[in-house]
Amino acid sequence: MKISVLRAYLKKEIIDLIRNKMIILIYLIPTMILILFGFGIKLEVTHARTVIIDNDHSKLSLEIINKFSRTKYFDVRVENLSYKKALHLIQTNKADVIIIIPPSFSRNLYKGAEIGVYIDGSFPLRAVTLQGYIEKLLINGFNIHLPIKIENRNFFNESLRDYNAVVPGLFGLIFLVVPASLAAIMIVKEKEMGTIFNFYSAPIKKVEFIISKLLPPFLFHSLNIFILLLLAFYVFNVPFRGNFFIFWVVSEIYILISVGIGLLVSIITSTQIAALVLSVIITIIPGFLYSGILMPISSMDKESFIEAHIFPVMYYNHLVYDSFLIGQGFKASENVLYFFILCIYAVTLILVGTFFVKKAIK
Amino acid sequence: MENGELRKILEVKNLSVSYGKKVAIKNVNFSLKEQELLGFIGADGAGKSSTLHAIAGVLSFEGEIVYKNYVYHSPKEAEKIKYEISLMPQGLGLVLYDFLSVKEHFDFFRDLRGLKKDKEYENRLLKMAGLYEFQNRLAGNLSGGMRQKLSLILSLLPRPKLLILDEPTTGVDPISRAELWNIVNEMREDGMSAIISTAYMSEANKMDKLMLFDEGEIIASGTSEELIESIKDYTYEGEIENNKCFSFNNRTYSLKPLNLKKASPTLEGIFFVNALKKGKKPIVINVPEKDIEIPEIIVNAKCLTKKFGEFIADNCIDLKLKKSEILGLLGANGAGKTTFIKMLLGLYPIDEGELYLLGKRIRSYEDRLTLKSKIGYVSQKFSLYKDLSIKENLEYFAKMHSLSVGETKRKIEEFARMFEFEEYLNAFPKEVPLGINQRFSLAAALLHEPVVLFLDEPTSGVDTVARSAFWRLLRKLKENTGISILITTHYMNEAEYCDRVAVLKRGVKIVDDEVKNLHKKYPRLDFEEIFLQIYKENQ
Repeated sequence: MKISVLRAYLKKEIIDLIRNKMIILIYLIPTMILILFGFGIKLEVTHARTVIIDNDHSKLSLEIINKFSRTKYFDVRVENLSYKKALHLIQTNKADVIIIIPPSFSRNLYKGAEIGVYIDGSFPLRAVTLQGYIEKLLINGFNIHLPIKIENRNFFNESLRDYNAVVPGLFGLIFLVVPASLAAIMIVKEKEMGTIFNFYSAPIKKVEFIISKLLPPFLFHSLNIFILLLLAFYVFNVPFRGNFFIFWVVSEIYILISVGIGLLVSIITSTQIAALVLSVIITIIPGFLYSGILMPISSMDKESFIEAHIFPVMYYNHLVYDSFLIGQGFKASENVLYFFILCIYAVTLILVGTFFVKKAIK
Repeated sequence: MENGELRKILEVKNLSVSYGKKVAIKNVNFSLKEQELLGFIGADGAGKSSTLHAIAGVLSFEGEIVYKNYVYHSPKEAEKIKYEISLMPQGLGLVLYDFLSVKEHFDFFRDLRGLKKDKEYENRLLKMAGLYEFQNRLAGNLSGGMRQKLSLILSLLPRPKLLILDEPTTGVDPISRAELWNIVNEMREDGMSAIISTAYMSEANKMDKLMLFDEGEIIASGTSEELIESIKDYTYEGEIENNKCFSFNNRTYSLKPLNLKKASPTLEGIFFVNALKKGKKPIVINVPEKDIEIPEIIVNAKCLTKKFGEFIADNCIDLKLKKSEILGLLGANGAGKTTFIKMLLGLYPIDEGELYLLGKRIRSYEDRLTLKSKIGYVSQKFSLYKDLSIKENLEYFAKMHSLSVGETKRKIEEFARMFEFEEYLNAFPKEVPLGINQRFSLAAALLHEPVVLFLDEPTSGVDTVARSAFWRLLRKLKENTGISILITTHYMNEAEYCDRVAVLKRGVKIVDDEVKNLHKKYPRLDFEEIFLQIYKENQ
């Protein structure tokens, strides 16, 4: 390994990235994705139009109404309607939730009282979320049981904050897509412009070339780890309960995986535009689907469960969520296992890439 | 060192290269001595680049190459000799990074090759290339000639023992070409050997030994005198129209004796004689005569000026193109030729001056719209769609000019027959020789029957036989249809085919005269010498 080769390429790439203004994109795109998606993906539901029909008129029923009225999640109207007319409100999209408190509700409370809850199911995700809120309110407040059972997905996000659920998940998406496409473009650019001859005809090793080409995207995006972390803290107020050092090392390894994917893409493409499109497509779909933002991996069924385990994003995001929200770190054996899996990904991708790079015209 | 004692530096044995099924070169054998200058000539696609790439160790090959005493059979084995060999691949400044300055290129290449900084040597190279004053200029802002000179001195930076240059002068103006040669010659005095491929026969004369490539084989080799000697029996004076012999540059080549005066051959002749020996025939050009009403003055540019910031690309240029005239626009790279043509076409806005096309003053885009159908344009590098077949390309251009389907079909058939590319109609531009691309680009520009053609370096990189066909085609077009042609070229002997030439230097027109007048003014000089003389006189 000659340091001078590394210095030559590093200096050249940095000058090139600055002068062709690519550097702006390197730091703008991850920040943009985090801010756009962070604010844009809304999993929590607020201001659900709620109609409560109180047929009991007891102290307890008033208390329930008050409880619903006090949260930002429900906009409560109390009305005296028939069961039929109330349901009609949902059908005509004038209400999202109807809660019917039956007569003599408070009297029957300890015998096992029931409340009628009707939720607009046209957006299933919202419906499930609302159901969760309602259950929690009733169970926590009054120990009232509804005849419905749902999984509690907000176990580590007690405050039910969306940002806590979405923002950490975006790390896995951003650091998979952006370094891969940058690495692929930077290598393919040499092929497309013809400057690859400098590598072919100079007495330098294949490994030297690959390290020189992967180092700039790796270093530039290493800085992004800190930028995104600060954004998560100060813009989205996401807590950080884990070990920073573990988070940092894992993120660096994950970026290595990403530039490794870029390297593979650069081998099979010969124009920058093809390299960009291919690297984005093969990273953005798994990066989003299997990030755990939209759906927890554990609740996936067979095929998607297997697919999720094929892509590295799942392992990384598991460790990221742990760092932000749980903080078990390497005390949990699963986290250690995932860390090693990520290491294996990084080494394999780069070794395979190195094997297939040819120092000659195809 | 005594002449006889020069060591053999390179030996190529049974070299073969193939790309998939396509054989690029087969069983090539030759050797090179120290300090020797070996020239590769031949049509494009003949195997010159493949041979050079194989020697430089950037391309897989079969056979054996021996450099000094080191034997290699693959790019991998060639790694060890890359310290002593420099390759400059084909393409204007191909190895340069547009966003790096001249100085930064030196830093990059020095580090890449692990060299120690040798300020004296680097300054010497920069001065030789005339780039000493431009060290802070970005490569992207250098002219084609300067880019080539920079590429050359960068390849000389590791002080190679063997320099491999792949068409270093293609697309480069005569001035820069001369400078490139000066650099090579100066370095050779230090004991360097070189293999250089070239499309300019005037350069081939400077080589110690020449090899003529054709379809992957070396079909002739020797000094340029020997090669010229070998065709003297087939060379006649003048040009004639006959499908059994080739004519170009006031010479006619025929295998069968002709009833013409014998003439001293030029090196170019070897291509024609070789083509004849292979049984090839010149294309029969049959341009039907047409009578179109064309005004007497096609283009009248009055004091056209174009500025890019501080830089004046064209400074008050007057130019008239008359009916039925071929006007050659000559000048060094960066002299303002392409900019001028782009102003005429409306691709660049005109900063100052007046432009009349076909008698009509051009002020706005709308003024041009009505004239679009009268103008044909072939750009540098030909603007073809590489994912469309030749036929589809032509159909696309026909549609752009709103030709009817029937008419399109008829026209394509007519041009394919006329320019002889029928057999290539279903091929993709990348698969056919440059000469064919050039002819069908011309057809694309002619589909809508324009009265004037603008051609920007249409012959760059095209082999001699194809160039001769191209020029005959242009002459025929002019004579039979009365079309006017404005053309730029770096092959100075092609200027002989123009009726008139205008020479630009640094954005200023320095000469505008008929070719025959220039020959009278500078007797006994060929046109390249005349051009260099003109440039020298107008410092």
